[in-house]
Amino acid sequence: MFTAARVSAARTAAGKRSFATAVTEAANGVKVAAVEKASSAPTASLTVLVKAGSRFESKEGVANALKNFAFKSTAKRTALGTVRESDLYGGVLSSSLGREHLALSAEFLKGDEAYFLDVLASFITSAKFTRHEFSEYVAPVIESDTAAAAASPAIQAIELAHNIAFRQGLGASLYPPSHPNFGLSDIQDYAHSVFTQGNIAVIGTGIEQAKLAELVSKAFAQASSAAGPTSPASKYFGGENRVAGNGPQTAFIGFGTTGAPSAEAAALAAYLSPAPSVKWSQGVSPIAAALPQGSSVQSVYLPYSDASLVGVLVQGHSAAAVKEAGKVVVDAVKKAAAGASAEEVATAVAKAKFAAASAADARAGIVDAIGAKIFSGSDASIASALAAFDAVDASAFSKAASSLIASKPTYVAVGDLGALPYADELGL
Amino acid sequence: MVFGPLSVSLAPYIQSSKTLSKWVTPVANWYANASRYRQYGFKYDDLVMEETPSVQRALDRLTLRETYDRAYRLKRASQASVLHKPLEKDQWTKSEEDVRYLTPHISNVVAEDAERQKWDTILVKKN
Repeated sequence: MFTAARVSAARTAAGKRSFATAVTEAANGVKVAAVEKASSAPTASLTVLVKAGSRFESKEGVANALKNFAFKSTAKRTALGTVRESDLYGGVLSSSLGREHLALSAEFLKGDEAYFLDVLASFITSAKFTRHEFSEYVAPVIESDTAAAAASPAIQAIELAHNIAFRQGLGASLYPPSHPNFGLSDIQDYAHSVFTQGNIAVIGTGIEQAKLAELVSKAFAQASSAAGPTSPASKYFGGENRVAGNGPQTAFIGFGTTGAPSAEAAALAAYLSPAPSVKWSQGVSPIAAALPQGSSVQSVYLPYSDASLVGVLVQGHSAAAVKEAGKVVVDAVKKAAAGASAEEVATAVAKAKFAAASAADARAGIVDAIGAKIFSGSDASIASALAAFDAVDASAFSKAASSLIASKPTYVAVGDLGALPYADELGL
Repeated sequence: MVFGPLSVSLAPYIQSSKTLSKWVTPVANWYANASRYRQYGFKYDDLVMEETPSVQRALDRLTLRETYDRAYRLKRASQASVLHKPLEKDQWTKSEEDVRYLTPHISNVVAEDAERQKWDTILVKKN
């Protein structure tokens, strides 16, 4: 115990040193956050985060199309020029879409930040959206995104779960429908409405705050200063949905809340996760020991700025295995609400805290962890996000779990509809 | 290209000068009418040689409407050619309809090819 306390104190001191994040606003209203990294790290990264996720989209799938349009021709360079020039600098460009944010990222060697910020900013300020690039490069990628989502029962289950849990806003899918109803002009209009100065944040790692702020105020000077689109505050509904599908039999059992995401919900997801800490061994979670052969359970924790969804994804080769595993999961959730033991809660909190800290080591994790906080203006340092875990004890955990399961559960089954269980058969 | 619509042209210079374009436009219109392609319902860009990779790519970039109209003009002109006489006068292409709908696409394709060539042969100097 004494040693553990000492280790924990040492860890806290180390945490304070390397996770400082200062958020300032550049002269033009673009938010700038420089996340401190070990000064010996040879690489730096830049992420331009735009509030342009699927919850803001004007037509189904437009946000995904805009993501796939990233790094195509702009007034400054063509698509080919962007690729070849970035090759010469040795950087990696990527774009990714979430339900709330569109992230355009560049990872590169320290010292090349001026060039890569210019690449990212020129898409925001002067993308050309040519018709031939849409039909030759973008449309096939949109189609393959849709096909990939349709081929994965897990993705289908999560998308449907969001839809019945939140309906509008967060309920919008990340993937376009198979016969999209938008054209190039819709993408252009959407880009025009979301690429505004107040809607953009730039997150840098391995770059000094002052230098980054100076580059950003120059790069985004020409961006529009209009207000971006808004989405109504999320409401949680819950419900049940079943769709036929190929592949492994899949069920999603989840619970949602509104309001800022809490450390308790993350701890509940960690509590439910049967993943062992040592590879090829059996985990210690209450679920792990009781799972039937041929079934797998993954815990899912999806926090958003004003809501979160906690649950598990149950998959199996046969619907019977899914049914049995589903019952185990529901029992475990009920047990957590009734009152889990202090040791179990401590284990779950440590697991959740490590998962959060380890995700924040990489660029994508940093963006997920602090993205929403930068826009809301709350404390965006990763240290404060980790500190919230220290306040979770057994009673707070059980209270959070019981308030979660008091709401209507979100249940989705994808696969053999004749055999997959209904929510009431699992005891929900 | 030494010849054809993408060759060196004085047109931008002439268009930029008010006096020059005032003198040259009637001559240009007379010349275009005298070459009689308008009497067969063609636009000038219908005559651009299309059997090159660049022009094929440019043709792919037309809108569906433009592609359809182009095919229609070609068919109508072929029929007129079979009949050995121009179209009825009301079907002749008017000078304001004779717009360059394809040339901008061809010059974009040529510029892209040139850029690719540039990046393929670029010499990188470290300073």
